[in-house]
Amino acid sequence: MKNALKIFKKEIKEVIRNKSIWAPILIISVMFSIFLPLALMFAGDISEDVEAMEFISKMFGSSVDAQEAMINFMVKQFIIFLLLIPAMIPSLIAPASIILEKESKTLEPLLATPIKTKELMLGKTMTSIIPAFLISILNFIILTINIDIISYLKFGILPLPNLEWVISAFILSPVISFIITTISLVFSSKTTDIRSAQGIGSAIIIPIYAVIGLQIAGFFLLNIYYLLLGCAILIAICPLLLKLTIKTFDRENILTKWKMK
Amino acid sequence: MIKALNLTKKYGKLTAVDKISFEVKKSEIFSFLGPNGAGKTTTIRMLATLIGPSSGKILIEGKSPIKNSDYIRSIIGILTETPGMYEKLSAYGNLKYFAGFYNLKQDRIKKNIEKFLKMFDLWDRRDELVATFSKGMKQKLALARALIHEPKILFLDEPTSGLDPESAHMVREFILSLKKEDTTVFLCTHNLSEASSLSDRVCIINKEIIRLASLKELQNYKKTRNVEIVLKGNSNKYIGDLKEIDNIFDISAKGNKISLSLSDPKNTNPKIIRKLVNNGAEIIYFNEIKESLEDIYLELIKSEKSDEKRA
Ligand SMILES: Nc1ncnc2c1ncn2[C@@H]1O[C@H](COP(=O)(O)OP(=O)(O)OP(=O)(O)O)[C@@H](O)[C@H]1O
Ligand SMILES: [Mg+2]
Repeated sequence: MKNALKIFKKEIKEVIRNKSIWAPILIISVMFSIFLPLALMFAGDISEDVEAMEFISKMFGSSVDAQEAMINFMVKQFIIFLLLIPAMIPSLIAPASIILEKESKTLEPLLATPIKTKELMLGKTMTSIIPAFLISILNFIILTINIDIISYLKFGILPLPNLEWVISAFILSPVISFIITTISLVFSSKTTDIRSAQGIGSAIIIPIYAVIGLQIAGFFLLNIYYLLLGCAILIAICPLLLKLTIKTFDRENILTKWKMK
Repeated sequence: MIKALNLTKKYGKLTAVDKISFEVKKSEIFSFLGPNGAGKTTTIRMLATLIGPSSGKILIEGKSPIKNSDYIRSIIGILTETPGMYEKLSAYGNLKYFAGFYNLKQDRIKKNIEKFLKMFDLWDRRDELVATFSKGMKQKLALARALIHEPKILFLDEPTSGLDPESAHMVREFILSLKKEDTTVFLCTHNLSEASSLSDRVCIINKEIIRLASLKELQNYKKTRNVEIVLKGNSNKYIGDLKEIDNIFDISAKGNKISLSLSDPKNTNPKIIRKLVNNGAEIIYFNEIKESLEDIYLELIKSEKSDEKRA
């Protein structure tokens, strides 16, 4: 596995040098973990807003503190928004890592060395997942600090971290990164166009938007059970994706079946 | 060193390599010749354990690649047909990266990088990005990469393509020098004079082996020889006399030169000379024209094609 680390070390340097990868990551991070929570500042007293009160009581029942429920509802929204980051980072990095390797025509010389194809796969996966995990956690932490400061000053409560936060940051987020990484790696083997390979990642992100949409529309509310169910389903498909990726990274497959031109 | 037995590779319905068998000895320079699409690169890829054969057997140093692929990869070097480098790394950085995948000590890696970069005239530019290199410089760097772990077997797929005459010459000299270090070289080339000047044996293939022999054997395989005789003065008048000799055909004269084909040279050559001398000709020289590998190659490929049509 030493070889995987060598690949990771070389590629991570390339990622850092590649502005078209980190610039969008930086923009999304600032948007979701800094600007978005500022919205809380403008959340006023809702006790006089009839419509809002109706919505809250429909969603949470009438026994709860409406103001606190409202804050918690918004925080749930932010957490889901933040899950876009562990999805987006691999969708940018993994295709670049494969397609640049194709463009430089280095796959065959690389495969002629005693490297194991699993090490190659692991190296590329690490290049995508490790930054995704670290940046996501960083964003979750920044979001938490921002939300807690604002909520405490305005309403005297500290909504984060809660259990949903822990599950999202430490389970759901890496699982999403892994899924998008493997799908991007497999898809990149079949194309030479970096943009379309990166597009496949965005296509997978759409379901996350769907969850946000449904929640805002009041169809369902993210709770711990939904979250765990989501995790379970996503974790269940991981072995399948891993198998598919290993198959894609077979030496002969790379040299004869991958689309090179 | 390398043994192939009924080696076959199919891509779907297409048979790229068809039941070829051969053996390459230690420190031999063995050349593969054949038209585009003949299966040369496919064969190299099989021997270098990059792809598996559809059927047939390979032994490298007596070992099967199925069980010993890691070991085999560590003792072979390969210059692939389209060798690529990481354009955003320096020449030095590229070699260091690739060398890292072999089980080598750091100081040996350093020593070898320096040795080969110097040998290929790239040492002064070692810290420049490969993106700034010319095609030939990249080719030389790729050759250095193939050699970086001092392989026992070297596969070279068109090593001098894209090189200027001087660099090509240098590479050829280098290939010859590998012999002294007991390196076995498996060469694919379209440059027939290169093949004939370097190889101990050549193998002409077109999906299957058409002929495998040393250059000398190839030149002798035909029964007829072409001979050129230069005389003092006009040669036309001797044509009639020579036609009387058995085993001579295709005779022609131009100025003071006679060209002819003959068979059974041991008996025919003396007869020709005796006849000419007896008839008063003064011979300046008598020369057997050796066919070049190119002539032989073209002839073999042509006859192979017509065989194919008949079949
Ligand atoms: N990945 C592949 N999938 C399908 N067919 C292939 C593949 N690679 C090679 N072939 C086919 O196999 C045959 C042999 O190809 P190969 O590259 O070995 O020829 P070659 O002798 O190296 O030719 P050239 O002199 O042009 O380099 C060709 O018909 C080629 O189209
Ligand atoms: Mg070829």
